[in-house]
Order: sequence, then C-alpha cells, then structure tokens
Amino acid sequence: MAVFDTPQEAFGILRPVCVQLTKTQTVENVEHLQARLRAVSDSALQELQQYVLFPLRFTLKTPGPKRERLIQSVVECLTFVLSSTCVKEQELLQELFSELSACLYSPNSRKPAAVSEELKLAVTQGLSTLMHSAYGDIILTFYEPSILPRLGFAVSLLLDLAEQEKSKQIKIAALQCLQVLLLQCDCQDHQTSLDENEQKQLGDLFASFLPGISTALTRVITGDFKQGHSIVVSSLRLFYKTVGFIMADEQLSRVSKVQAKPAVEQRIAELMTHREADWVKNTGDKLAILIKKITECVSVHPHWKVRLELVQLVEALLLKCSQSLIESTGPLLKALVGLVSDESPEVQAHSDQVLRHFADQKVVVGNRAFADILSENLHSLATSLPRLMNSQDDQGKFSTLSLLLGYLKLLGPKINFVLNSMAHLQRLSKALIQVLELDVASIKVVEERRWNSDGLSASPKESARPWNQIQRRYFRFFTDERVFLLLRQICQLLGFYGNLCLLVDHFMELYRESVVYRKQAAMILNELVVGAVGLEVEDLHKKQIQTSPEELREIVTSILEEYTSQENWYLVTCIEAEEMEEELTVKQSGLHAITSGPTFQVTSFPDLPKPSPTICSMNSNIWQICIQLEGIGHFAYALGNDFRLLLMSALYPILEKAGDQTLLISQAATSAMMDMCHACGYNSLQHLINQNSDYLVNGISLNLRHLAQHPHTPKVLEVMLRNSDASLLPLVADVVQDVLATLDQFYDKRATSFVSVLHALLAALAQWFPDTRQPQEQSLEKEGSHFSWRPAALEKGLDNTTTAEDIEQFLLNYLKEKDVADGNVSDFDSEEEEPSVSPEVDKSDVCPGVEPLLPVQTQIAKDVMERCIHLLSDKNLKIRLKVLDVLDLCVVILQSHQNQLLPLAHRAWPSLVHRLVNDDPLAVLRAFKVLHTLGGKCGDFLRSRFCKDVLPKLAGSLATQAPISARAGPIYSHTLAFKLQLAVLQGLGPLCISLDLGEGDLNKVADACLIYLSAKQPVKLQEAARSLFLHLMKVDPDSIWLLLNGLYCPEQFTPPHPSLCPVQLGGAAGQQTPYTVNVLHLLKELQ
Amino acid sequence: MAAPTLPRPQPDPQFVLRGTQSAVHALHFCREAQGQGCQLLLSGSLSGLVHVWSLQTRRALATLDGHEGQCVTWLQTLPHGHQLLSQGRDQRLCLWDLAEGRNAIVDSVHLKSVGFCRSTVLARAPPRWMLAMPGGGNDEVEILEMPSKTSVCTLKPEAGAKLGMPMCLELWQQADSSPRPRLLTGYEDGSVALWDVSERKVYSRIACHTEPVMGLDFDSQKSRGVSGSAEKALAVWSLDEQQALKVCRTHELTNPGIADVVIRPDRKLLATAGWDHRVRIFHWRTMKPLAVLDFHTSAVNCVAFASDGLLAAGSGDRRISVWSLYQCT
Repeated sequence: MAVFDTPQEAFGILRPVCVQLTKTQTVENVEHLQARLRAVSDSALQELQQYVLFPLRFTLKTPGPKRERLIQSVVECLTFVLSSTCVKEQELLQELFSELSACLYSPNSRKPAAVSEELKLAVTQGLSTLMHSAYGDIILTFYEPSILPRLGFAVSLLLDLAEQEKSKQIKIAALQCLQVLLLQCDCQDHQTSLDENEQKQLGDLFASFLPGISTALTRVITGDFKQGHSIVVSSLRLFYKTVGFIMADEQLSRVSKVQAKPAVEQRIAELMTHREADWVKNTGDKLAILIKKITECVSVHPHWKVRLELVQLVEALLLKCSQSLIESTGPLLKALVGLVSDESPEVQAHSDQVLRHFADQKVVVGNRAFADILSENLHSLATSLPRLMNSQDDQGKFSTLSLLLGYLKLLGPKINFVLNSMAHLQRLSKALIQVLELDVASIKVVEERRWNSDGLSASPKESARPWNQIQRRYFRFFTDERVFLLLRQICQLLGFYGNLCLLVDHFMELYRESVVYRKQAAMILNELVVGAVGLEVEDLHKKQIQTSPEELREIVTSILEEYTSQENWYLVTCIEAEEMEEELTVKQSGLHAITSGPTFQVTSFPDLPKPSPTICSMNSNIWQICIQLEGIGHFAYALGNDFRLLLMSALYPILEKAGDQTLLISQAATSAMMDMCHACGYNSLQHLINQNSDYLVNGISLNLRHLAQHPHTPKVLEVMLRNSDASLLPLVADVVQDVLATLDQFYDKRATSFVSVLHALLAALAQWFPDTRQPQEQSLEKEGSHFSWRPAALEKGLDNTTTAEDIEQFLLNYLKEKDVADGNVSDFDSEEEEPSVSPEVDKSDVCPGVEPLLPVQTQIAKDVMERCIHLLSDKNLKIRLKVLDVLDLCVVILQSHQNQLLPLAHRAWPSLVHRLVNDDPLAVLRAFKVLHTLGGKCGDFLRSRFCKDVLPKLAGSLATQAPISARAGPIYSHTLAFKLQLAVLQGLGPLCISLDLGEGDLNKVADACLIYLSAKQPVKLQEAARSLFLHLMKVDPDSIWLLLNGLYCPEQFTPPHPSLCPVQLGGAAGQQTPYTVNVLHLLKELQ
Repeated sequence: MAAPTLPRPQPDPQFVLRGTQSAVHALHFCREAQGQGCQLLLSGSLSGLVHVWSLQTRRALATLDGHEGQCVTWLQTLPHGHQLLSQGRDQRLCLWDLAEGRNAIVDSVHLKSVGFCRSTVLARAPPRWMLAMPGGGNDEVEILEMPSKTSVCTLKPEAGAKLGMPMCLELWQQADSSPRPRLLTGYEDGSVALWDVSERKVYSRIACHTEPVMGLDFDSQKSRGVSGSAEKALAVWSLDEQQALKVCRTHELTNPGIADVVIRPDRKLLATAGWDHRVRIFHWRTMKPLAVLDFHTSAVNCVAFASDGLLAAGSGDRRISVWSLYQCT
C-alpha cells in the first residue's frame, strides 16, 4: 500500500512533519509522523532513516521532564521505523540502544523507573526490534567488551521486568527481548550463523551475566504455578539457551588457560570473566543447585507444555554441556526418565524420543561419567525403593517405578554393575517382592469350582487371546493395574539386560527361602525369562541377546523342575484334597471325599484333628500354582519350538492341574497349554495331547507306582484317553495293565477314580474300534428270527379289506410258525448253554483247539470286565453305577467275540441279578440298560436265564406293590418303593425287545404290569406302564391287542365273513373301568 | 564312590520307552553321528526290528528292518565310522551304515548257527576289526577278520570235552602286553573257557555253573569277570598271570535265571538282567548288592550301560526302562 516509492517523494511528504516535530514535541506530532510513515515504502524509508530518526531521537534526548505519553509514542514510532528498515552503522546502533535503555532508567536509582506499563512494553519491544534490525555485520562489532556495562545494564533491567512486573505481556516481552539480546532468538529472520571464534567471544562476554540471568530466571521458573505457563516456558527456554551457549563443552574446550589481555580499559576488564577450568567447576556447581531446583519444581508442573519444555531443557543441556554440567546430570536424567511415563502423550513421546536419541548417540553408554551417575542414581533408588514402596500411594509408586524403569532402559547392559553388587540386588529384589505381595484374603478364589468336566475343548484359535494377558491379581500394596504393568516391564528389562543366570539364581533362592516370597519370586522369574528373549522389550541399545537358546533352555528346565517338584506343585487348595491325603496317608476311614459342594463352608470345620488350612493359605496356594502354571506358559512362549523338548516333563503336571476342581487353577492350566500349543505349533489342545501321549503315558505309568503320592494320576489318564485316538492304544496297553494291577491293590480306597478311568478307557475303545459288522449281524439276526413274518401280518392284520384267502393264509402261516416255534423252544430248554452264534462268528474261530491271539482292545475289555464283576457289588452306589456303565461298554466292545463275552456274561450274571432285583432304583435302571445291551449281543443266552432268575421276582414285586401304590398318597412318589417300581417298569420294555422274549414270558410281563394301567396308580407309573406296553406291542402286537381289549373293549367286532361267529372280548364296550383311558390311548397307538 | 542311599525303597526308572510292540532282546547305547552327538539307544526286538531311540526326545528316530521278522539278539556299533552290527535269528549279521541319517545295510555275514549266542567284536587298527561268532559245528566259534570277511580260524574244543554250544562270547586283548586277542566263551555245560585266538587253544577253563552260561562280562583291567546262568547264582572269576581262570566267589540270588550281565564302563557297577523281571545292581569290586530295580512285568532280556552311566533294561513286556543310577564319577 506504499504510495511513495521514491525517496524524493517520501522526503516531500515527511519533511513537514519532521520539522514540525522538531519544533514542537507533542504526541499529536509524533502520531502525525507515524501516519505519514505508513505511506512510505520500506526502501524509501531506508534512505531517509537517519532523517526520520532525528526528530524522534531529539525528542528523547531533550533534557528536562517529559510526559510519559510522549515518550511512549516516540518509542513506538521509532520501533515502527526500525521494524521496516535496518541499522547499518554501529554508532547508530549503540546510540539507539543506549537511548532506548535510558527510557526506563530513573536517574536517581539503578532500579527501573516507575513508569507506566505501556511505556515499559513499548521500550522492551523497541529494544527487541532494534536488535533485529541491526545489519548482520555490525551486530558482531556491537558485542565488544566496551559495550559490556551498557549491555549489562539492559540485561538487568529486563530481568527485573521479567521478575517484578505484574503484566504478563511485559514479562514475556522482556524475556523475548533478553533472548534477542543474548543472540538466542529463535525467530526465522534472525539466524546469525557464528563461527567458532565468534561464538567463543560472545560466550566470554555473556559469561559475566550468567549468574544474574540464571538466578533471576530460576526465581521466575520456580515461582507460583499461577503466573501462567507461557512465562515459565519462555524462562525455561531462555535458561537453557543461555546456559547451553555459555557452558557449551565445545566452547569451553577451546578456552585457553591464560586470559588474553583484552585491549580494553581497566574498568571493563574487571567485568570480563575468563572461563577457565576453575570457573567452569564453580559455575557448574552453582548451576547444579539451580537446575536441581528447576527440575524438581517443573517436573510436577501442572501444565504439560511446561513439562515438555523441561524435556527440551534436559535434551539441550545434556547434549551440549554434559561435561561442564556433570554435577547436574543426575537431576536432569532423573527428570527426563521420570517424564517418560508422563500422563501427557506429547511429553511422553518427546522424552521417549530424547531417550532414544541419547541411546543412539551413546550419550550414556559412551560416557563413563554418565553411566556412573546413572548407576549412582539407580543405586540410591534401589536403596530407598523398599521404603518408598511402603509409604507411597499408587501414584507415587507409579512414578517411582517409572523412574526405575527409565534408569534400566537408559543403562541398558550396564545395569549389571548395579546387579553385581549383592547389597543392591538384594534391595532391589526386596522392593520388588514387597510390592508384588498378593492379597490372599478373598474366599472367592477358594470357592470357585470348575463344573464341566471336559473343559479341554477350547482350541487356541477359538480363544485367541494375547499370550501375555494374565489373570487378574489382587495386590496388597496397590490396586492400580498400571503399577503391575510397570513392574512386569521392569522385570522383563532386568531379564533382558541383566545377567540372567545371576538373577534367576537370586530369585530362585528367594523362592526357596520362604513361602512368603514364593509367589512374588515366581512372578518375577516368569517375567525375567520372557524378558531374556527380548520379545516384549523395546531395546534402546540394539543389544544382541546374550543368553543362548541352550542356556535359556537349561535355566527354564531348572525353574520348571522346581515349580513342579512335589512340595511346590501338590499344595492343599481345598479341604477335600486334604481329606484325600489323609485318607491315603493316615488310612483314616469314615470321612469321604465326595461330600462337599462349592458352597462348602470351610470355617464350619473347627474340630478337624489336624489344624485345617486357613482360607488364606489355600488362597495363597492356589495363586502359587496359578503363577507357576502361567510361568510355564511364559516359558513356552519364550522358548518357542524349543519347548518341545520340555514337554516330556511339563505336560504331565499341567494336565494334572487342568483337571483341578478350583476354577482359577484349571483356567491357568488350560491357558498354559494354549501357550504351549502356540509355541510348539500344535493347532489344538487335543493335538498337543495326542502328539505327546507317549510322554504322558510315561508319567502316568511311573506315578501309578506311587499312587499314594500321586492320587491324580488316574485323572490324567482319563483326560488323555478322551483326547487321543486309536494310535495311542499300543502305547497305553501296558499302562492299562498297570492300572488294573493297581486297582487290584487298592480296591477299597481308590476304586472311584479307577472306575472312572476304566469308563473313559472303554468309552475310548468303543469309539476307536466301532464294530463294523454290527449292522450286518443284526440284520442276519432279524432274518433268522422266528417272528419274521410279523411286520407283514401287522400291516395286513389291521387292514380292513381282509379277504377269506388272507385269513386262510394267515392261519396256515400261524400254524406253521407255531410248529417251528414249539420245536425251537424245546431245543432251547435242553441246550440252553449253547449260544446260537451267527455263522460269521463261527468262521472267525478257525481252529477250535488254539486260542487265537486277541486284539489288544478285546483283551483289555475282557480284563476290565473281569474287574467289573467284582466291583458290581461295591458298597458305594456311585461306584456300582459307574461299574454298570463300564460293563455296558465292555459288552459293546466284546460283542464280536462271543467266545470271550459269554463266559464273562455268565460269571457276571449273579451279581447283575442282584442289581436288578434288590438294589437302588438308579442301579436297577442301569442294570436294565446293561441287560438291554447284553440282550442285543447274546439274547438267546440270556433269555432263558432272565425268564428263570429275574422275571418272576420282578413280576412278583410289581404285583405285590401295585395295590400299595394304588392306595398311596402324593408322598409315595418320594419313597424308594415307588422309585423301584418306576425303574422296573421303565426298564422292562426295552429289555423285552432286545431279549426277544417268547410269548409266554411276554404274557408274564404284560400280566404283571397290567394293573399299572389303572388310573388309580400314580401318574408316573401309568406313564411308565404305557411306554412298557408300547414296547411290548412292537414285539407282539396281536396278543397285546387281545390283552388290552380284554380290559376294555371300545368297539364291537363284526366278523369279516358271515360264516364266522361274532367275537366277544372280555372288556365290555362303553363300560367305564379304571383302565379305560390308558387302554384307549394304547389301542390308538396300535392302529 | 560315595554311594548315596536310594531315596525311596522302590526306585523308579527315569523314563520308559514304549513302542517296540514286541519283546526287547538287545540294547546298545551309542552317540549320534552328526551334530551335537546326542545319546542314542538302539533296541532290537523279537519281531526283527531295530529301533533307534533319541534319548533327548525319548522317541524312536528310525526303525531298521533287516532280519525278516526274526528276533534281533545282538547290537553293536563299531568304534570307527557310524556303523551298526545287528545279529538276528534269521542267521544273518547285518552291517548298517547310520551316518548322515542313512539306514542301509552295507554288508552282511551269514551265520551258521541258529542259537541265541551273541557275537562279539574287537577293534583292531582301523578300519580292521575282528568278529567272533558261533560257528557251524555244534560247539564251534568262528573268528573273522573284518571288513574283509576272511575267516581267521575256527575254535573247536578238543574232542570229547562235551562243552555243548557256545552261549556267550567276549573278545578282548590285554592292554599292556603284546596285543594278543583272547576270547572268553561261556558254554552250554556251565563252564567258561579262555581261548588264545592266535594259537587256537584253550588257556584255561572253569566249570562255574551247572546250567548253561547265559551271559558274561570281563573287566580286563582288574582281570576279573562275571558270568550268569540259568541257575540261581552269579559267578565271579579272575584270571591270574599264568592265564588261568579261577573262581573267586559265587553270589546266590533269590530267583534263578540271569539273561545278561554287564559291567559299567567305569567298572564300578554290575547289572544283571533277571528272568524274575528284575534288574539287580551290584558293587563290582565288592559284589555288594546295591539295588533291585523292579519295574518290568516280564523277564528282563538285556541290560546296557551308556558311557555316562545311564542304564537301560529291555524286557519281554515290550518296554525299555532307562535308569539313572549312582552317577558316574
């Protein structure tokens, strides 16, 4: 917008106002001039600079009192001129500098004059502008020793302003002005590049101001937080720029020992300082005090920008003055390290970056003194750590621990200096152990139970969890999760940089030393190993991993051994477990282990002979096991595929814990196995177990030899069997023999667990070796059946369009079949021992004299069945039930080996009859199921025996019980008698089908049960009876039809042919009987 | 040796190898050819298979099938090269090349005997070695120079001695004097004879058992040997300067039948494989019984010691138990 481009034009318009101003010095005239100046271009103004400045300077210089307003406007105008032009002459610069400075100077005192704030601001800005406008070359000549007094005067003036003024604006302006004066301005157009000598000259000059500047700034910085962050930020910046310039190692290194005589007068020479070694030492010491004050104060400053500036301060000072400020390194590093975990992400990021930069530049590692200081700091921190952990709150702990973490990060491999000192290692470990103490008061941990028994279904892919996500812990001394995270990082770093053998040894010692330390030591060990591989650690030092894989594996192996040793692995985690132990060792009878549920009140057991474990101790044991399990997972993670070699010792104990009743333990074990899967490349837990079953078998077979010490062994076998396939059988065959041998030894005590193993085993066998011949054989049986015509008859018999031929054919068939049937029945009576084997089975026994070698599974099933015969009459109902299930499976497996099955069935028969006739209803039901299976496989063999031994008794008891139940009230359904009736009614139906009972026996069954169709019977019994008859109808619909109609006949029958006489059935139609409802229902089913 | 007492009355094997699927009749420890040289255990089974077990992973690394389903009775690696000798009841001695993961038969020798007698080897200047095996005649032992397979001689007892078949063989040579190969032979009649191979004559013979000798081992440093037979006793005998065998003592056992006797390489322990399913450990110098290892459920057919003191026992129950006993000092 400049209107007047040429000096001539400009001169034309400026001259009148300048003259005017020279004549009468008023504010108006000054403003007049300034208004004109705005219309003049910069280049024109540069030409006329001296001319324009004259009236202004004249005004300032005129002696006598002046109005402040006038001075202010003059200074503003002057500033305007200077901002658009540059000062090219040194004299002018000096004079202007003096004149401007003088504006604030009251002649009477050295204090700033009591002038208005506006004036102060104007002058300060004026000075700033002046220095900016100084032309490149002259600025250096300006800073010669002779200027020292005047410069010093201005500096102290400005410092006073910065410190004393109330106005924030003035303060900032003063600080900025100082920055400009000391040539540390950071604005773009004022970059003066100085060569080394010039820098040194300036440094020498400014050194005189250092004490004043640093103390004054420190006062400002450590002043009230309320003064506003920008002032503190500017002060900090000025502080580090100034100190960094004057104390720069680079400059100081070139300061000669002897002071060169400056060619200046004596007075000034006295003001000059010579920066020789002593001076540096002294100044460094004094600065250290200030810096310490500053870092302490600022690192807790509420505004993040201030803390960010502190990071920059640390960076600048440590990079430039690491030698001269050696005393301050400690506080500076501490501040920086502390800020790494600052809550503000900007500060965090920056301090992290600075730390990285330091590490890259080898500021710490490459510098002996530096490392010493850090070690010193770490030493003292380690010393005070236990006390701090005791007294601080979560936030305090957090910052202390982040400091520790920062030191470790910075020191890197050098932390070993500290760790090698036993005293310090001890302090450090004590502190870690102390702070990691768990809170073990909660009862929930002890109470929580695992319910589903097959929790191994999860595959690692399904539950893809980050490997390092761990169970929530409750600590005694802190609740903040971040503190725990920090602690883990600390341990990992220790493991990464520290001497792993030393650390592991140390913490293993603590682990063994006392149960109080054990859990914490284990946690630390776990993290150390993870850290040692360096997978989670961000490395500032580009360190090569020291621990070789073999070494690491050895270390892990030794820890693993310790973890899984008898006294650390088999801990009392619940009352039941303890009882088991007692039962085993003291051979105490009576108390049985299967009593308690999850809400079992531990405290309600005051009279136990031994002092019962407290909840705390059980809780603690649970955590210990969990931590150890988690550790094994960590180890797997750390070793990767190398862990495969440890599976032989690790898998068995973990599997043992996977089946633990306590929820937390089984969870921890499962996740540890997941980690193993990940590490060793198995895609599921099943895969892991299946592929390593040989290791498991080894553990199982050895532990079976010492069952008293390893009561969980059968459990592991069970889990393994569930998760394997047929390829396991050759390996497991001898173990099964061991199991059976052990079972024979411990019939009375450990039968429960063994029976469930046998169950798992046979279920597995049945699944692995399904009988492929079964369907064929069954169909053969069907064809050979005596009643094969029945389905056809069923269809036809119910057909309404019956012809005479049909009837005739029917009758003929019937007679023929009846003949055959009669003949067969007599056969069975005479030779009931001979089983009617299908031709195929005959073929399989090629040479009758020689016992063919049985397949392993058959041999096992045979051996197991033999044991079952003994166990069938066990005192414990649960065992009896389980044994019946096992027996059922045995029959399934042995079905194709009738030669083995029949003798065994023969031997099992008496006790099976007992189960059927007088046992608990539950057992009766299961026994029926066994009979059902058995009937399917060797029906002919069983039929007659059943009809002879069992049926009469059952029918008799049903008949005698019927009147009682018919009369009974609602409570009856809770009695044993009722349950037995129900069981028998429910069991008989399917059995009749599988045994393929003959007509007479069927009638016996039907007769006995007919009463239960009465509406007077309890509903449940009626239902059971109905289902029984439905089963019977499948075997012999006609006779049942007749029987039912004998009870109640819903309709009249008209003969199909007039030549036949009408039929009159027993139950008269229309007549209501107690049986009506059920009979109608059944007849409807028949149609 | 400061022998610590065993921690429990019933010691456990360190681990058990399963999967031979038939009775184990021969065991031999060796070092893996390549890499770190991990310890390997070779086992020969009734079904004619030789399993190579890694003791590090405790799993079978390889299965060698070269005896046509006939029982493998003897396994021995040659000190030079990674070659394995296996003797089977198919009347063949096979030489296997196991180097660099190869499993190939490189040579074989026909055996004229069908008995259970195990052969024995004596390493000479490499690559030569001497092999003693039961010979064609009922009571003969044949000596071969290997690997050329040239017959050196046939050792036949004098007529009318009626020693019966050779049951076990042990070739050795005195370390100090001129290396003359000797052969110790246990015969069916229960006697042990010392042969001088080069002169083809019996130095000395003692009748130390009344039943056939099933196994013998000789400690050439102490000039003492031990033999086990089908009867209930172990015999310890010594060899004096005149090369005469002399029975030092016999050791009564609870149950009859010793299938194998082995002295540990450091000559401190003696292990016997018993038909009573048990392995017995003795102090070799004093013959003090130290332990009874009761694990197997069938007769133990063979025992073997590794160079580091590990003991393996193979049994008819198809398992191989590996025991860590009083560590080698």
